[in-house]
Amino acid sequence: MSTLWYGLKQGLKSIIQNKIFSLAAIGTITACLFLLGVFYSLFTNFQHMVYNAESTVGIIVFFDENATDAQISSIGEQIKARKEVERVDYVSAEEAWKRFQSEILEDQKELVNVFGNDNPLAHSASYEVYLKDVTKQTETVSFIQGLSGVRKVNSAQDAATGFGSFNMLIGYVSISIIVLLILVSVFLIYSAVDMGINVRKDEIAIMKLIGATDLFVRLPFIVEGIAMGIVGAAIPLVILRLMYESVVSFIMAHFSALSGWLAFVSTAKVFGVLLPLCMGIGIGIGVLGSTMSVRKHLQV
Amino acid sequence: MTGIKTFGNNSEGMETMIRMQNVNLVYPTGTAALKDCSLEIAKGEFVFIVGSSGSGKSTLIKTLLGELAISSGRIEVAGKNLANMKRKELPYFRRRLGVVFQEFRLLDEMNVFENVALAQRVVGVSSREKRRKNSLAMLEMVGLAKKLKAYPNELSGGEQQRVAIARAMVNRPAILLADEPTGNLDPENSWEIMKLLQDVHELGTTVLVVSHNEDIVNKMQKRVITLHKGQITSDARQGGYLQ
Ligand SMILES: Nc1ncnc2c1ncn2[C@@H]1O[C@H](COP(=O)(O)OP(=O)(O)OP(=O)(O)O)[C@@H](O)[C@H]1O
Ligand SMILES: [Mg+2]
Repeated sequence: MSTLWYGLKQGLKSIIQNKIFSLAAIGTITACLFLLGVFYSLFTNFQHMVYNAESTVGIIVFFDENATDAQISSIGEQIKARKEVERVDYVSAEEAWKRFQSEILEDQKELVNVFGNDNPLAHSASYEVYLKDVTKQTETVSFIQGLSGVRKVNSAQDAATGFGSFNMLIGYVSISIIVLLILVSVFLIYSAVDMGINVRKDEIAIMKLIGATDLFVRLPFIVEGIAMGIVGAAIPLVILRLMYESVVSFIMAHFSALSGWLAFVSTAKVFGVLLPLCMGIGIGIGVLGSTMSVRKHLQV
Repeated sequence: MTGIKTFGNNSEGMETMIRMQNVNLVYPTGTAALKDCSLEIAKGEFVFIVGSSGSGKSTLIKTLLGELAISSGRIEVAGKNLANMKRKELPYFRRRLGVVFQEFRLLDEMNVFENVALAQRVVGVSSREKRRKNSLAMLEMVGLAKKLKAYPNELSGGEQQRVAIARAMVNRPAILLADEPTGNLDPENSWEIMKLLQDVHELGTTVLVVSHNEDIVNKMQKRVITLHKGQITSDARQGGYLQ
């Protein structure tokens, strides 16, 4: 009777322990991939916006009032010669005024007439400089400011580069946390599978005596590991999916003033990457953890 | 069972199923459990292994199963030299052997039918219908066709052992190894099991039974190999239990 009781108690204990480890493993994978998902969403949207900003804003270079045409074209040549520069467009004073009229004064036609035939932007001919690499913006701007004949340089500098280095820091921290969580997940899957193997030691021994191959004996445990990985990946994907759309529409609704700048990446595009990435990592963690455990405990 | 590769004939011109030559086995603890054991068992023989507790009977069975590696000597089972068998070959080798233990070792969470069918699944019988047919035939033979859905804890010891024999035999092994199959049973059930092992023998299976039961060994009048402190001290063609 006491042996029976002992057996029962041990059995139940290991099953409960096994459950706790399984839940811990799934929870850790969930946390890990959730963080990865959030980080990826932020990163990809930020990149997208910077790209947008780069191709819409750029750097604008204004000239001294008495700058000659030769000076202006020499400035253009010097800017173009720089490696990080993608393109330099010349905008004449007339063009600038026309653009201003159509873009800014669109709704206030009567204002345009106030100026008559005078061009209030007579001295506003400019170069619009587009960069290949936004991180080089500060450097480029100070180079241009040093050229003779340049009156003023406008750029979206602070936003771009400041955000860039901040982004890098967040990136490193996130990646470290994600890697740490992946390691913890592998260990927890290893432990959960280990518990399962211990609970079923007799069964395994019998199957081996009947002539079960290693694969036959190991497969259920590897499947268990993979299943935990898939569940651990599915939970954050569902949450992220629900969150992403509501966050995007919330921002769109409440910050409509910025809507020109805030170009979000579509849900389909984000999850086209996140779904295979998270599933891959989840399954990878499951396979790795369970294989390690099975290899250690199911020799012969 | 046909198609078993054999590797020689013994002195009486019968195919040899088990051959041990000067086998020694020393456990890592230093215990010498088998000492210079030599024996030959022909295909289709029924042999008792007897001896006092600790004489090495279970150790002998485990070496035949490839569960324990011998320290020196030579051992061949069903045409296979166990010394140079690769790890990968072991499962396939074991499929030619059936094993029965004193403590039955059925899986508690599976019913009678599932316990037997598992053995078929393990060896890769993929057709469900085939597994079902073979398992039912074996359970019929051991007289448990009416208790397919019962769980091991709902059966008597004798019934559990019959399920274990059905499981051991469902893949039609060439050899059946039984380590004290009646050790946990009363005399009546013990005789039932012995009759069953006799049936298995009549199917052409080579049967090795470790037994402590003097009465049974004496009445069955089979070949009896006696172990004493790891050594084979007697091998009687039609013998009884020696003291
Ligand atoms: N795993 C082991 N490690 C070390 N020594 C062992 C081990 N198993 C058995 N022995 C020793 O080997 C010897 C033979 O043991 P074995 O179990 O083969 O005896 P047996 O004849 O089956 O006895 P019984 O009738 O009690 O089952 C004994 O001295 C035993 O203590
Ligand atoms: Mg024993």
